[in-house]
Amino acid sequence: MILSLEASSVTVAYPNGHTALRDATFKLGAGTIAALVGINGSGKSTLFKALMGFVKPVKGQIHIAGLSVEQARKQKLVAYVPQSEEVDWTFPVSVWDVVMMGRYGHMNFLRIPSAEDKRVVSESLERVGMKEYQERQIGELSGGQKKRVFLARALAQSGQIILLDEPFTGVDVTTEEAIIALLRTLRDEGRIILVSTHNLGSVPEFCDQVVLVNRTVLASGPLEEVFTEQNLRQAFGGALRQFHFEHSTIQDHDGKTVKLLTDDERPLVFGKDGHLEYKDRSGREDLVNKRKEEVGE
Amino acid sequence: MNLLTPLEYDYMLKAILVSGLIGAVCAFLSCFITLKGWSLMGDALSHAVVPGVSLAWLAGLPFSLGAFIAGVIAAITMGWLKRKSGLREDAVIGIVFTSWFALGLLLLSLFPSHLNLKTIILGNILAISDPDILQVVVIAGISILVLALKWRDLLLYCFDEAHARSLGMNTSFLHFLLLALLSATAVAALQTVGACLVVAMLVTPGATAYLLTDRFGRMLGMATAIGAGCSVLGAYLSYFINGSTGGCIVVLQTLVFLLALVFAPKHGLLASRRIRRLAASNLA
Ligand SMILES: Nc1ncnc2c1ncn2[C@@H]1O[C@H](COP(=O)(O)OP(=O)(O)OP(=O)(O)O)[C@@H](O)[C@H]1O
Ligand SMILES: [Mg+2]
Repeated sequence: MILSLEASSVTVAYPNGHTALRDATFKLGAGTIAALVGINGSGKSTLFKALMGFVKPVKGQIHIAGLSVEQARKQKLVAYVPQSEEVDWTFPVSVWDVVMMGRYGHMNFLRIPSAEDKRVVSESLERVGMKEYQERQIGELSGGQKKRVFLARALAQSGQIILLDEPFTGVDVTTEEAIIALLRTLRDEGRIILVSTHNLGSVPEFCDQVVLVNRTVLASGPLEEVFTEQNLRQAFGGALRQFHFEHSTIQDHDGKTVKLLTDDERPLVFGKDGHLEYKDRSGREDLVNKRKEEVGE
Repeated sequence: MNLLTPLEYDYMLKAILVSGLIGAVCAFLSCFITLKGWSLMGDALSHAVVPGVSLAWLAGLPFSLGAFIAGVIAAITMGWLKRKSGLREDAVIGIVFTSWFALGLLLLSLFPSHLNLKTIILGNILAISDPDILQVVVIAGISILVLALKWRDLLLYCFDEAHARSLGMNTSFLHFLLLALLSATAVAALQTVGACLVVAMLVTPGATAYLLTDRFGRMLGMATAIGAGCSVLGAYLSYFINGSTGGCIVVLQTLVFLLALVFAPKHGLLASRRIRRLAASNLA
């Protein structure tokens, strides 16, 4: 089996007649973190629901590792963390119980956890840093902690494809970084991770593919090719704030240093000819060298 | 007065054992009913089974079969009406349950069956016949078996339906299973406490256990113990006070609930006051 996630001409209409996605086509291969980016109502959550089989496309096909959505579900390939959990927070279940629910697919008819199930649950809780809360009733957590528990549940499912609908909203910077580190290790294990986010600045930090949507897939592919100023303008229309630095403010004698302050989200910074500026240059030495060659330094 | 006197009578012994069994099944199910917010549904189904009793008698079938089918049809009608009319659930339940109950009253007044109207509405476990005991035991046995095998799936369905679906579980089947179990237990409880009080057996033990624990597994155990205990004790006590068995059982369950409400270790009224005061004094 070769892991892949493929949508071709997927069109989704809701019962009220609204066509949320039209002819959406993209493909992701194994070992990738892909960002799903678009404005509110552009159809990101709808795309996730279609990938999960919660809404049936009126047209087009979805193939997961070459299988249909239904078959992929039977093979336990896909784990999904929705944008907001529609669960009853007063339910008498603990954090541990909730994460254990991710293992149901691996259990027998009676759903009695095996030693392996317990090990995976424990490990998943540790990976999201929620191990010490495992005895808490699920409603007795903060919003960000709840998000982490449901992320742990998705991990416990051991799915090869992980769909995360806005995992970073309402999550502090430390947690965001912890989740990003976690996603990187999952990618290195060869999984496919599709993350929707409004946090444009963090996309270049951890994603290697981008799917831009606005009621269809506008562009998809490697970050450097797709995540361009022009494509983003097209995806967001006038809905992006921007702040243009004039050349004069970036002087050679300042070491070309610019300081950018922002209250919550990481800013997305493009260089003059529209190339992405990375905050973290380690691991991107090739890019730095390429730039050097370009200017003949 | 000899405390063992009730046990010397065959009919008392049967009443006590059957009540205990029904109390246990209803209590087990009550955990799901209270958490799913189906208390009103329980009340509705316990009334909606009544026309089935009469029709089964006319057709020469066991009363419980007719009652069960009537309950399931009523539940399906409610689901259908809710989808088609867009009315709120409580309005739909109100319409369907009263019309089914009215139909039952009408049928029973026109064609008297072996269970008279008073027994069906108020229950009379002391006069239960052996064939009826058999029916109740079979229903209770099947319900317990299904619940014991499937409670984890039902729990996930009640807690997070979307996740259950994403794991490939058949959620419409689980929904129907829960409704069917609710109808079946309502039928079983009919002769013990009567249609009017069935809902107490299907809600109170679960609500009591909910106050006592934060773990679903323990909640199931506690609710079942409370339900069975109160039913056995209630039936036994009714001999001495010479009162209605159903009334005795439900009053006992309510007393236990009130005790839990006040004294429960974490969610009780006293405990939450104490915990908050403690937290405040720690700050100071
Ligand atoms: N259940 C529904 N019924 C009808 N229309 C819907 C439904 N859910 C979403 N829509 C519509 O479909 C469109 C896409 O919605 P979707 O939730 O996929 O957006 P999104 O990209 O996830 O937005 P956000 O960034 O706000 O989460 C929107 O115009 C929305 O109004
Ligand atoms: Mg969304």
